[in-house]
Amino acid sequence: MNWLSDNVNLLSLIGAAAIIIITGFVAGKYIKQMKTDKSTGELTGDDWDGIGEYKNPLPMGWAIMFLLTTIWAIWYFLAGYPLNAYSQIGEYNEEVQAYNDRFESKWSNADKETLKQMGKGVFFVQCAPCHGITGDGINGKAQDLTAWATEDFIVHTIVNGTKGSNYPLGEMPAGLLDEESAKAVAAYMVEKISKTGQSKNPDLVATGEALWATCSACHGEDGKGMEGSAPDLTTYGHAEFVVEVLNRGKVGVIGNMPAFNDGRLTGIQKQAVGEYILSLTE
Amino acid sequence: MFHWLEKNPFFFAVGVFVVIAYAGIVEILPDFAERARPVEGRKPYTVLQLAGRDVYIKDSCNACHSQLIRPFKSETDRYGMYSLSGEFAYDRPFLWGSKRTGPDLMRVGNYRTTDWHENHMLDPTSIVPGSIMPAYKHMFNNVADIETAYAEAYTVKKVFNVPYDQPDMPKLGTWDEAQKAVLEEAKPIVEAMKSQEVKEAYARGEIKEIVAIIAYLNSLK
Repeated sequence: MNWLSDNVNLLSLIGAAAIIIITGFVAGKYIKQMKTDKSTGELTGDDWDGIGEYKNPLPMGWAIMFLLTTIWAIWYFLAGYPLNAYSQIGEYNEEVQAYNDRFESKWSNADKETLKQMGKGVFFVQCAPCHGITGDGINGKAQDLTAWATEDFIVHTIVNGTKGSNYPLGEMPAGLLDEESAKAVAAYMVEKISKTGQSKNPDLVATGEALWATCSACHGEDGKGMEGSAPDLTTYGHAEFVVEVLNRGKVGVIGNMPAFNDGRLTGIQKQAVGEYILSLTE
Repeated sequence: MFHWLEKNPFFFAVGVFVVIAYAGIVEILPDFAERARPVEGRKPYTVLQLAGRDVYIKDSCNACHSQLIRPFKSETDRYGMYSLSGEFAYDRPFLWGSKRTGPDLMRVGNYRTTDWHENHMLDPTSIVPGSIMPAYKHMFNNVADIETAYAEAYTVKKVFNVPYDQPDMPKLGTWDEAQKAVLEEAKPIVEAMKSQEVKEAYARGEIKEIVAIIAYLNSLK
């Protein structure tokens, strides 16, 4: 009898038995009363086809409850509902506030691997509709993120120009440098400016440094973009740059990317998307 | 206590009326007073957007797509801010929809763009694998009905005092002015599109349905 060891089962059974027994007694009592009882008491004098009505006073408990309910109803009518009505949006705001606080405290120190996994989830919902599930840009319908920020990609950007993310200094025209010079600048950028790793052409770094003057006109000597006039290239190839693009949106050569600054993504989620996109190039 | 009320049906009816009318005042009047007024910064649709909205209705987009974001975190995460009733002030009729076979489109202008819509209407599965939405190729051939859209805007301006032609609000003007404004508004959309047919039609002064519906979808914010 394993199921009897469960307290709830046992209680339910006892309750069921009690109900059956009590029902039997009560039914028996009233059936007996119907057989033997004689009616006594004062009648109201109303007569409905031979059926009369006793003059019974209101039961005290019932009268008190009725009065209290009436008082409560008046309060609810005048003050309770109009002034303290339930607000779905109020509850939403509280819930979201509580959730965001928990989210913030739980993930504020998340490591890169955690952020990457979080970013993957966000990417599938918010980014994949244009950039594709694999991030490859679906045959040129959006930017191919699997190549983003690689050295070849930098060369391609320098040679073909880019419309940028609506910075004060405007778009970067195509053909500022030829392909060979662009390679050198890309090597310099990878090693010294954005510091994303080792260049494929380490011997070109010095040449790139000499050619950097072309870039520094807008991006500044240190590549920091002259305080927001142009993109900060020291963050290029890092999650911070992705966050910047998410915040500003992008008018690209392929199409427009809307800004994601309407509160749909938190700062941590944007950072996470950045980490995930970087992992796509690996 | 209320014996006399039961004996006087007239006063009983008056009592019932008072109770129900009071509930009506508490429930309905606040919405008329404030919440259903146009949200600050909300503008009526331009003629081109209205033409797109007509295409949206004609092709029954609202049968599969809702335009109402409920205040749940799962919805606001995906679709953006929940809807306010004042945001629908210029929607005649509103297109809340009742079933989401596809996603909600209330704020689709915030996260989809002209080029995306062009690809998507031509062949949905080319960018959304597994999508069951049919292609809407005919939108690239049919010419948008600008005249009806103008008539609509003109009607709501005259009958419902929708604030066209007021400071910071869309201009409606005469039919000739409206036609020019529509071409002007369609220009950046046509430029952002790839379809040669649409561009050629635009050069002839024709606006295809796809341009109008993209203008409408981009305006949903």
